[in-house]
Amino acid sequence: MTIYNLYLFDRDGQLLHYAEWTRNKQSGMTREEEAKLMYGMIFSIKSFVTKVSPVDLREGYLTYTTNKYRLNLYETPSRLKFILNTDVHAQGIKELLHQIYTQVYVEYIVCNPLCQLSKPIESELYAAKLDEVVKQSPAYASRPA
Amino acid sequence: MSRQSMRANDPKKVSGELFTLTYGSLVAQLLKDYENVDDVNRQLERMGYNIGMRLIEDFLARANPGRCYDLRDTADKIQQAFKLYLGVSPSIGSWSPGGDEFSVVLETNPMAEFVELPDHCLGLRYSNILAGVIRGACEMVQLEVMAWFIADQLKGDNVTEIRVKFVKRLEDAIPAGED
Amino acid sequence: MSGSKQRPSILDKSLSRGRTEVSLTAYALLFSEMVQYSHNRVTSVNELHNKLSELGERVGVRMVELLFVRERNYKRETKLLNILLFVKGTLWKSLFGKEADKLDRATDDERIYYLIEKEPLVNRFISVPRDKSSINCAAFIAGIIESVLNATGFPAKVTALWHKGTTFMIKFDDTVLTRDKQLEGR
Repeated sequence: MTIYNLYLFDRDGQLLHYAEWTRNKQSGMTREEEAKLMYGMIFSIKSFVTKVSPVDLREGYLTYTTNKYRLNLYETPSRLKFILNTDVHAQGIKELLHQIYTQVYVEYIVCNPLCQLSKPIESELYAAKLDEVVKQSPAYASRPA
Repeated sequence: MSRQSMRANDPKKVSGELFTLTYGSLVAQLLKDYENVDDVNRQLERMGYNIGMRLIEDFLARANPGRCYDLRDTADKIQQAFKLYLGVSPSIGSWSPGGDEFSVVLETNPMAEFVELPDHCLGLRYSNILAGVIRGACEMVQLEVMAWFIADQLKGDNVTEIRVKFVKRLEDAIPAGED
Repeated sequence: MSGSKQRPSILDKSLSRGRTEVSLTAYALLFSEMVQYSHNRVTSVNELHNKLSELGERVGVRMVELLFVRERNYKRETKLLNILLFVKGTLWKSLFGKEADKLDRATDDERIYYLIEKEPLVNRFISVPRDKSSINCAAFIAGIIESVLNATGFPAKVTALWHKGTTFMIKFDDTVLTRDKQLEGR
């Protein structure tokens, strides 16, 4: 199992933070450009799916799987979007994202007076904690050597 | 950073006195910095709004309350949050006939434990920060509300009462370049 | 609201026993707002520290009144070492639920003491950006200590430093030392 990368967007679609663990190919565009496309894609899928889906989608967790990877979207009721790309076998990603939200974002950004919520995250403590939590998760640990 | 040094008894709690006195000191500072009490009231509301925006994230993370489907849900959650964060249980009531307005009623107000309003600040809404917190927190979950004090024990009322009125639902932001 | 209502007098209420508790997050966010408010009104780190210290002073003055009435039966403290132990113990416990980590004396200056707290409550969530690494929000607590010492008759200057976590440097007035020596002689 492998964890590829993580995008965090705020409610206005601004990229707050980006981190990657396994990424073999870069997109060849700027991070801003790439983030804009990622957010736009999620936004479009979400609004389309909401229109056609017969069931209530307000649970806040959504994934889709291609034959090569899985995209996991965890959206809080406050509309923060955590988008984590993994391989198709990764387990427990919803729990992992919940943990990132509660134990990393809330503790180190929300409670830190020197971090503004509407600005991209620069806190080193946040990045370090995020890395720690991801690397401790089974989805990361059990990746083949 | 190590977190082992947290308090042995309950790591998630602090002394109510420290809280009340710190808030009191902040209000005193604002009264010093601004010339009239209306500005102080506004600034307190503003600060509450900022706190609400952050507090809601903690509330969602900790209480995992799920989404609200109507205003009664929201009122319940506000009640729950008062208990969780300030250790008091307000009652919810006085619903408007249309169901778009309700009151949060506090028997004791933890913000104002040691406070007596001096005569020259009668216009001060001492606990106005709470109204701001409610507005800020609701806005983050796509609810625009108004919140204001209609009774205050510091002014001789029997209870402290905050009125909350639903304004509208907010929609998701559309990404740049889409329509 | 009508002006004719009788406002309650604070004297009619009994004094708090000091056992109520509120959530750490609520406190952290209130403190955070206070720091940001202060930060927006100053231009230098030094000024910020002064502002925070001023906010702490008001808390300290009231804590002295509460604690001496409640825990000490109005008895004043006259010895320098005892007041330091009072700060480290009683004051710290009622504010932060624990004693301060350590009390040290400067080796080269008898007016200076160090009170060490590895991770003060107010700094627990704060990660200071590199370009502002000298900011220490524990200046607020320094303000509390300073006003407690002043209000009990031990005028001193207290500064929060980044050292072993946070160290509060307490520098007493010369008069305090002189008096303490006189007391010792008796």
